[in-house]
Amino acid sequence: MNAIYESIRVTVQGLAANGSLPQAFTYQFVINALLCTLLIGPLLGALGTMIVVKRMAFFSQAVGNAALTGVAIGILLGESYTSPYISMFSFCILFGIALKYTQYRTNLSNDSLIGVFLSISLAFGASLLLYVSAKINTHVMESVLFGSILAVDYTDMNILLVVTLIAALVVVPLYNQMLLASLNPSLAHARGVRVRLLEYVFVVLVTIVTVACLKIIGAVLVEALLLIPAAAARNVSRTLSGFVAGSVIIATLSCILGVLMPMQLGLPVPTGGAIVLVSALVFVGTTIMRATLSRFRATGV
Amino acid sequence: MIGPAVIFDNVTLELGGTRILDHVSFRIEPGSLHCIVGANGGGKTSLIRALLGQMPHTGQIRLEGEHLGPVGYVPQVLDFDRNVPMTVRDVMALLTQRKPAFLGVSKIHHADVEAALRRMGVLEKEHRPFGGLSGGERQRVLFAQALEPAPTLLILDEPCANIDEPGARIVEEVVLELNAKGVTVVWINHDWDQVRKLAHSVTGINRKVLFHGVPSEVLTWAEPKAMAS
Repeated sequence: MNAIYESIRVTVQGLAANGSLPQAFTYQFVINALLCTLLIGPLLGALGTMIVVKRMAFFSQAVGNAALTGVAIGILLGESYTSPYISMFSFCILFGIALKYTQYRTNLSNDSLIGVFLSISLAFGASLLLYVSAKINTHVMESVLFGSILAVDYTDMNILLVVTLIAALVVVPLYNQMLLASLNPSLAHARGVRVRLLEYVFVVLVTIVTVACLKIIGAVLVEALLLIPAAAARNVSRTLSGFVAGSVIIATLSCILGVLMPMQLGLPVPTGGAIVLVSALVFVGTTIMRATLSRFRATGV
Repeated sequence: MIGPAVIFDNVTLELGGTRILDHVSFRIEPGSLHCIVGANGGGKTSLIRALLGQMPHTGQIRLEGEHLGPVGYVPQVLDFDRNVPMTVRDVMALLTQRKPAFLGVSKIHHADVEAALRRMGVLEKEHRPFGGLSGGERQRVLFAQALEPAPTLLILDEPCANIDEPGARIVEEVVLELNAKGVTVVWINHDWDQVRKLAHSVTGINRKVLFHGVPSEVLTWAEPKAMAS
């Protein structure tokens, strides 16, 4: 894959050198960041529609916080403190499964239970990181929460690519069943859907997607990109196709504009913040549009 | 084609320490139209959910027969977020095909989906948001989805609860048509007149089996008030 990245980089830098693309494209970190956004945008945009329908808004945040513990465990086990992927994936998958397992054995609603796990994971992760902080760069916690899209390397990109392919291979054939399982479990059972198994599959999927995106955009931004584009698309969509396509387009455009605008316009805004702000602007716009359309319909104009 | 027999064998079901069903045993004959009646909270819906494999229970629930094909199920209501942008066509695509519903109804299902919606009198609503339909219209769409693919066992949980008179008439006609083709129908029904008129057999349930048999025989003495008590 590295050869493909290199060939893309050389081509894009060539286009930037002869003036066909903006000057920012001469930098490798910008090209890497944009390649990541082209994967992250569609991935989180599409997955976000299911997160919104399943009311699992804070699940990715909880997983992001759990990643702090994963990082700490990785450091204790001797993994690289900049990319402790084995510990992060292992701990976060266990965390996600434990959350779902607990949900099936309590009467707590989805959001309450996620809230409980979110608080525990943040407290536990922060405490453990502090314990091992003597061995690491103190910015690791900040990196997990907010990421650093301009500092991604080919390993991060390869992991993101593999996870994106896994997500596509799982979600496309199981999309209807997963959505149906959350809309009406009885109906899903009648249609031969293995509801519980699919719920676990979905939780693991969101977990690995969140972890793959952590170093690039951080836990806070993963949550934002799972929610805001889907919520914005829901404001203006009447059909499922419009909902999914709108969410993917808004997420991808937010990522691209969030990377390029601060550099092109010389704005003192971090990339992660810019991505969220762009998608938030779209959300505000669609909310106003929806409210205006509703008023017109109500008054019969 | 004759649909399967449904056998409930000593089914006991508890929820939160409360016994909902207590050693329930009865048999629904292949290709019959069977109604389940009983007071609210008597365990009818739990029994159906157990039949669908959704509720853990002791005892056995078996389907027996040569044609164990698709199961059509119409829930009492579809409790869902009405703001999810889904049209009636999206819902049909979601329920009837493997291709992701956001890519539209697949070509091979198109004609059957249209026929099912037309049969239930809601084809003209196919582009309307599902969440914006009235309760009765939603129920008709739910009934339409149960017709595709053609079921061998049709399970109805008070499908007429929110439906107007014309809608209820269509439901009745469709159930009779399917049953005439051999589909086994299991129908939770509160309308005792309809049960007397349509059902081949009936079971009264209030935690336990109160009665089971041919409606003309068992419903002559079992009055609704007795059921409620």
